[in-house]
Formats: sequence, C-alpha cells, structure tokens
Amino acid sequence: MSIHRQYELVYIAMPDSTEEQLAELHQQVATVVDRFGGTIERTEPWGRRRLAYEINRQREGVYVLNILNGPAAMTAELDRRMRVLDIVMRHLVIRVDEVLEKETRTQTRRKAATVARRLRRGLPAEPTEQELSRRKAEADDADGGGMDGFGEGDR
Amino acid sequence: MNDFDKESRGGGGGRGGAKGAAKGKDDKGARRGGFFRRRRVCKFCVEKIDYVSYKDVKVLTPFIPERGKIQPRRISGTCAKHQRALQTAIKRARTLALIPYVTD
Repeated sequence: MSIHRQYELVYIAMPDSTEEQLAELHQQVATVVDRFGGTIERTEPWGRRRLAYEINRQREGVYVLNILNGPAAMTAELDRRMRVLDIVMRHLVIRVDEVLEKETRTQTRRKAATVARRLRRGLPAEPTEQELSRRKAEADDADGGGMDGFGEGDR
Repeated sequence: MNDFDKESRGGGGGRGGAKGAAKGKDDKGARRGGFFRRRRVCKFCVEKIDYVSYKDVKVLTPFIPERGKIQPRRISGTCAKHQRALQTAIKRARTLALIPYVTD
C-alpha cells in the first residue's frame, strides 16, 4: 500500500454555480478520494468571496477547502480533474502533514523549554495569575508594535 | 525617508556610494532631531508563529505594500527563515486570488 499523507485542496467555483452543482462537485472529489483509498478529513466552505483580481471575467468566487488523507497519486488525479472541470476557476493542492508536524513539534519543544527554564529559576511551571496580569499591562503600555489579528484566524 | 532610516540602522551599508552619503546625512539628522529608531525584529519570531499559512490573509497583508510586491527583508526585518515561509504563503495566496499579483 502506498503511503498516505495529508493534503489540502482548495478550489474556487464559478459564482453563478447552483447548490446542486457544488454538491455534485464535492461528490466528484469524494469519489476520486474514495477510489484511491483516501479519506476526506474535513470540508470547510469559505463561501462566496471577492477575488483579488479577475478570473474568467468573474469578480467573485465560491471557495471550498478540503483536508484530505491519501496517496500522492490521488492528488495527481484531483489536479487533473480540477483542470478539466469548467465550474472550477482555480484550484490548489498542497501537502501539509510535514509542515504541520514541524509546527507542533517546535511548539511543544518551546513550551517544554519554557517550563524547564522556569523550574530552574525556582518558579512554578505555569505563570501565576499575578505574572499574567503584569505582562498584560506591559503589553498595553507598548506602542502596539504587534500586528493586529496576528496568530489568529483559521489555519 | 523612513526606509533609509531603517536601512542605515540595519547595518545594510556597503551598498554603493550614493547610499553611504545619504546615511551620513541621516545620522546627523538623527542626532539633532533625536528621533527614535525602532530596532527591526522579525514579527513572526516575536509572535512565535511557526507556520505561515496562505489562508491567513490578515497576516500576509502587512508584508504587501501598495504595489502588490513582496516586501523585502531589509525593510520589514523578517528573519530569513520566516521570509522564505512568507514568500511561499504569499505566492500560494496569489494563485487563489486572495491577494493581488499587481495593483496600481
């Protein structure tokens, strides 16, 4: 059996497509994924969004994100299908498992390092209430150099 | 003007005579006026962001000036590692029409 990896598939459907057409499109994706023995982990419809530039003389598009598990051959087939379908204006398939794993790994390592550092200094592993409130006050004092909405939002 | 400031501080000198001259002038101005120069730090390192996603348009937009180009490291102060991640994220977002290729 081939190796299964996690991928993200985003496609932009024509803005004038009906609900049934979108459902059918999703069904097509599901069939392909199924045929290769993969699974759809999650589907996130972003809905109708304004495009940053015109594609096929359209200013809007219906965005759908799918998170899939499956072999590499599956993505090749999905890619081909997406290119052929007229209803799909644009699509993107990328592999995500590696980067996401790396992210969680560095985050856990960082957290562990913080705890170790705190213990070495004779502090409790977690910041106390007092510390948190003080840190917050300091952050408010600063000139707001941080970026709004940073680190939030969907992934 | 502002860009020059940041540049001279960033130790990016050695980039040709013209800029060197401007740097000298700038320094004097800084001493007289005494305005504050911010140290450039990588915003992703500060916020401890390990994965720059093409989906977070809000995160990407500060690095895209009006023209729609990707802001260079020497101006934004992003570290090499995060600039690379940012670059791929911006390019992916562009193909999905989340961010424009060009604006004028």
